[in-house]
Amino acid sequence: MVQLFLESDRVAELVAHLMKQKSVFAPHAKGRKSFAFEEVKDPSAAVLDYPRVMHSIRKFFFPPQETLMTFDLKENTCSVAETPAADAIFFGVHSYDLGAVHRLDYNFSEGNPEKNYIARRQGAVFVGVSYKPDEFHFSGSVGIDPYDTAGFDIFLTKLLDGYIVEALTPVGEGLLDGIELPAHEAGKPARGHFQQHIYLPQAKLGQVMDGSYQNEVWDDTAKKCVGCGTCNLVCPTCYCFTVEDEVNVQVTGGSRDRRWDGCMLRDFSAVAGGEVFRETLAERQRHRVFRKFKYISDETGQPWCVGCGRCTACCTAGISIVNIINRLVGDYEKVAVTPI
Amino acid sequence: MINFEMVSPDNAKDLYLPVMAEIIKVEQMTELETLYTVALPDGAELGHKPGQFVELSIFGVGEAPFSISSSPTMPGVFELGVRKVGMLTEVLSRMQPGQKVGIRGPFGNGIDLENFKGKDVLIVAGGIGLVPMRSMINYVIDNQQDFGKLHIVYGARTDSELLFEDELERWTADAGIDYRVTVDQGSSEWTGPTGVITTLIPGLELDLANTVCCICGPPVMYRFALMALKSKGLPERNIYMSLERRMKCGVGKCGHCQINSSYVCHDGPVYHYPEIKSLQEAL
Repeated sequence: MVQLFLESDRVAELVAHLMKQKSVFAPHAKGRKSFAFEEVKDPSAAVLDYPRVMHSIRKFFFPPQETLMTFDLKENTCSVAETPAADAIFFGVHSYDLGAVHRLDYNFSEGNPEKNYIARRQGAVFVGVSYKPDEFHFSGSVGIDPYDTAGFDIFLTKLLDGYIVEALTPVGEGLLDGIELPAHEAGKPARGHFQQHIYLPQAKLGQVMDGSYQNEVWDDTAKKCVGCGTCNLVCPTCYCFTVEDEVNVQVTGGSRDRRWDGCMLRDFSAVAGGEVFRETLAERQRHRVFRKFKYISDETGQPWCVGCGRCTACCTAGISIVNIINRLVGDYEKVAVTPI
Repeated sequence: MINFEMVSPDNAKDLYLPVMAEIIKVEQMTELETLYTVALPDGAELGHKPGQFVELSIFGVGEAPFSISSSPTMPGVFELGVRKVGMLTEVLSRMQPGQKVGIRGPFGNGIDLENFKGKDVLIVAGGIGLVPMRSMINYVIDNQQDFGKLHIVYGARTDSELLFEDELERWTADAGIDYRVTVDQGSSEWTGPTGVITTLIPGLELDLANTVCCICGPPVMYRFALMALKSKGLPERNIYMSLERRMKCGVGKCGHCQINSSYVCHDGPVYHYPEIKSLQEAL
């Protein structure tokens, strides 16, 4: 693999070079501490050194709100809505967020392959960047390290004064054509250390989760949880949705839209007759965690949590998924670990 | 990396676009329940199995799942028995024959007919649970040669809430059908038994090894019906249950209908009891 060197002050030049070829989306600073992925207008506004973006790039393939179809109320007819291909470069993506996209690819392909998601996913090019784990990241514990290049077309590894640039696919190589970068000879620096770990070897994932259904951790977590659904909202592998009709003000037509939904919300499992099938917060917390570490994992052998730390960082009640899992592991191994 | 190949857009489907179907007939059954006869465009058959459901939508109001109440043996049209409990069903209740609604489906696994063929069939239906079970009942009646004896156990809250009254009379009169009904509270005109549905189970005369049962009713009913059937001696492998959840998308994506790892819209709604014993959220 050819390694090239990009000086820190040439990042904007690389972004501008990419913008000549396709639309580029990259992290932008929002306020003092937040970052959001959005389309680059000014190459110098793209940020590569950030802990995590508020919402992962899932929002481009599975938008927070998306029109599924439009309808005409006078004619009582409907037609399917366009779902344009992304056809863009996603610049400065962290490995866990691409890991999450791969998981969504699976969810929207398996069973009934869904056109909306799959159409939007087309033409997406990924330029990754390494990161220094902060106090919330634990991706290393779910097998995705900060240098994981799987699925990227180009990967940038942070050095003190710049980045190592590697083109990993023919598409990536093509994008770098026409920008002169010197070779990098020295190899990669050591990976940053994770401050957070879940002590759950993948080989034991199934066993630990199998024994966890009745664990007291669900009731204990429920005592703090307020059921706001923020953990679902920020999770890059959550893909549940609700569907609602919106009527225009002239009442001549409208659209059937889907929106992100969350299994932590009480109405999520409610039926018209009034029954709520997951009435308690303990049941809902368990369902959320089992969705990430058991149900789909039993099928695929992979954790469906990518260790981004968003649900913990954003929790309004201070609940940590790392502590939940470590308590399950601790109870399985019969050793004491940090309480919630 | 997750080891699989993403499907190409050409092989992916528009999963959410309904076809426009015409309401042919509207019959008020009780104060809250109405039976709608619906026809797909160009006389197309729905092609369902007993126990399946469709997503019905009215533009500007929304979409909801409804179990199919007619047997696949009814040609050209299908029937939906609907209880008025929400906004969509309120608007639906004002619709007239000739008006059109959106239909997607049929969805779900339906009843595993192969496991019922050649056997006696026991249907345990509580309240609105008779709506999906009527599809199976009429299928068995129309294909008598494929099945043994038909037992129907039906319970409603009051006699004014009994559904499909004409058919209940026919089942009562048919010597080939063992039809039993009870109401929780009878009016002054009610001459039949009163009590919850499980009180009818001990009195059944069943060929236990050769009887396959399907249960459908309100959530609270399943555990009690199951206890009564087990103490009657019906083997667990002969028990199926049709479960209700919020099947919003119908195609295994939206997450609302999940029972543990199982998507009711896809793996259900009809479950073989031995298979759902391990699903803690099921009953």
